[in-house]
Amino acid sequence: MSDPSKSPEPLPIWFFVGVILLVYGLLLMASDFLYGVGSTVLASTRPCLWWGGVTALCGAVFLGVGLRVHAADKASRKEEQS
Amino acid sequence: MSAITLTAVDWIIIVLYFVGIIGIGLYLRRFTRTGEDFFLAGRRNSSWVAGLAFLSANLGALEILGWTGGTMKYGMSVAHFYWIGAIPAMLFLGLYMMPFYYSSKIHSVPGYLKLRFDERTRLLNAVSFAVMTLLMSGINLYLMALVFRTILGWNWNVSMWVSAAAIGCYITLGGLMSAIFTEIVQFFLIWFGLFLVSILGVSELGGLGAVFHGLPDTMGRLWANTGVASANEMKVTWAGIVMGLGFVLSFGYWTTDFLVVQRAFSSKDLRSARLTPITASFFKMALPFIVVVAGLVAFRLAGDPSKGFALLPHPSHPNEAWNDTALPMLMARYYPPGLVGLGITALLAGFMAGQAGNVSAFNTVWTYDIYRAVIKKDATDEHLVWVGRVTTIVGILLSVGTAYLAMQFNTIMDYIQAIFSWVNAPLFATMMLGMFWKRTTSAGAFWGLIAGMIVSFSIFVAFKTGAMPVALSRLLTFSDAPSEMSRNLWQASWGWIACFVVTIGVSLVTRAKSDSELVGLVKGLTGQSESADAPLLGRPAFWAAIAFAVVVALNLYFW
Repeated sequence: MSDPSKSPEPLPIWFFVGVILLVYGLLLMASDFLYGVGSTVLASTRPCLWWGGVTALCGAVFLGVGLRVHAADKASRKEEQS
Repeated sequence: MSAITLTAVDWIIIVLYFVGIIGIGLYLRRFTRTGEDFFLAGRRNSSWVAGLAFLSANLGALEILGWTGGTMKYGMSVAHFYWIGAIPAMLFLGLYMMPFYYSSKIHSVPGYLKLRFDERTRLLNAVSFAVMTLLMSGINLYLMALVFRTILGWNWNVSMWVSAAAIGCYITLGGLMSAIFTEIVQFFLIWFGLFLVSILGVSELGGLGAVFHGLPDTMGRLWANTGVASANEMKVTWAGIVMGLGFVLSFGYWTTDFLVVQRAFSSKDLRSARLTPITASFFKMALPFIVVVAGLVAFRLAGDPSKGFALLPHPSHPNEAWNDTALPMLMARYYPPGLVGLGITALLAGFMAGQAGNVSAFNTVWTYDIYRAVIKKDATDEHLVWVGRVTTIVGILLSVGTAYLAMQFNTIMDYIQAIFSWVNAPLFATMMLGMFWKRTTSAGAFWGLIAGMIVSFSIFVAFKTGAMPVALSRLLTFSDAPSEMSRNLWQASWGWIACFVVTIGVSLVTRAKSDSELVGLVKGLTGQSESADAPLLGRPAFWAAIAFAVVVALNLYFW
């Protein structure tokens, strides 16, 4: 994958997806506490809270995957260069 | 008073999105040095990254809003656009066409036409593609402004210029890699921002079975009502669906439209490039669970006055409900503060990624197939990157101009949206013959392409202006009263047939290229596939077979 003649590897997209989903998930959960149960249909199911939790959890997983992929890319690049 | 009101947390989510995508562009700037970096994302992507980008380039907010609204009109038939209207073509691209595209190391689809045929065929396709892409980008921008003005009360000029500036910024900085990154972010935002609408809708109506239970016969099935055109809401027979959508339009778009195919070119090797559309096919199959389910929920709710659900009026026809507002109105029904921001951000991301995809494809085709081919043949790589960046800004400005044009002359949109069937449907015939019949000549390809475009365009204009005789209309569409959808499918089919026939006819009387000139470009003159001795799980054919089996099962289940 890593061709030393090419530009260095950027952080993988999974890292950025992870950051965005994690931040958004946490914001959703915070908004549930801030605004409470509203007047929308099925508001009693607290969609912001549980969907925010799912979003944040997925974000954390993507963040972890992104960091691992980047570490592996860097290691293989070093190996190729040496 | 707007239909949806944003709170502080919603605004924070929207602003964070803009900060995020411009930040990604700035970060990727330092990895974008050469032409290959800028136009092909360094050819370093895995099949997962390229596959998601491949799908996301097609997955604009326009499509999601349009088909959710379309489901309220056509019912389950909309799933045809996601299954038979996409999956076979995506698998065909991965299995049979990608080796020719990828191995020839071209930068664009018109680049293949140059290698396989000649410069004039490349130029014809490059110019028509560039015009089509810019116009589509402008329409996308216009509709984005229209949707946000209708549901949120946002100012036209502000929403168009802010989003255009953000797109211009990150594409100019990071090129295709920026476009791909933001497309993938958009893919996840759409799932996390919009899928909950379907979940809550199904929940309110008492389960998926209950949603289908209350549908009229003409709306709830995929194939059972397609024996005669009048038995389904799309007013098209199974033959029109299979030939027009499943073959011509679908193959024309998924296998030749550079906007999507460019993402596969960014793969790190041939195996990844072949897996790109195959990986994307699995995600494509899942999209009706957002789009169609939400549309059916909206249909059921709108039909029950006790539910208090109504669509917004159409901006051009205030007495008619505007189906495209179905998804935003469902968001208004179910989403509390925070989720509203995420849903709006998903739509915004969808609109912007759709436009960014058009602009990144346009800058590549302009730079390599028009500028370098015609204007400056000895341009250096560094100069081409500079041209690509300038073209991005010019492309964005032209898109904004088109958006203002569409705002002034509303009917122009009907013409622009039909361009696809004039450009891509005939091109698929050219590509198919070019890749699989070595006797196809340069003259055959050029004149076939012209004939296909003229036939498709003429049928469109004849229907649009009312000049189409009834008897000929019946002959062309196999229907006494074809719907607009049915006309679109058949006009593309006839464009394809005209191109196919003329290409063969002219090829038979003109001189073909020698075998040595066609190595790597035509079936039978290209080496064995790279995955012939790969393990089963690494073979594109294995995953294509699974994708095909799943799509057949889905069609049988919803028959």
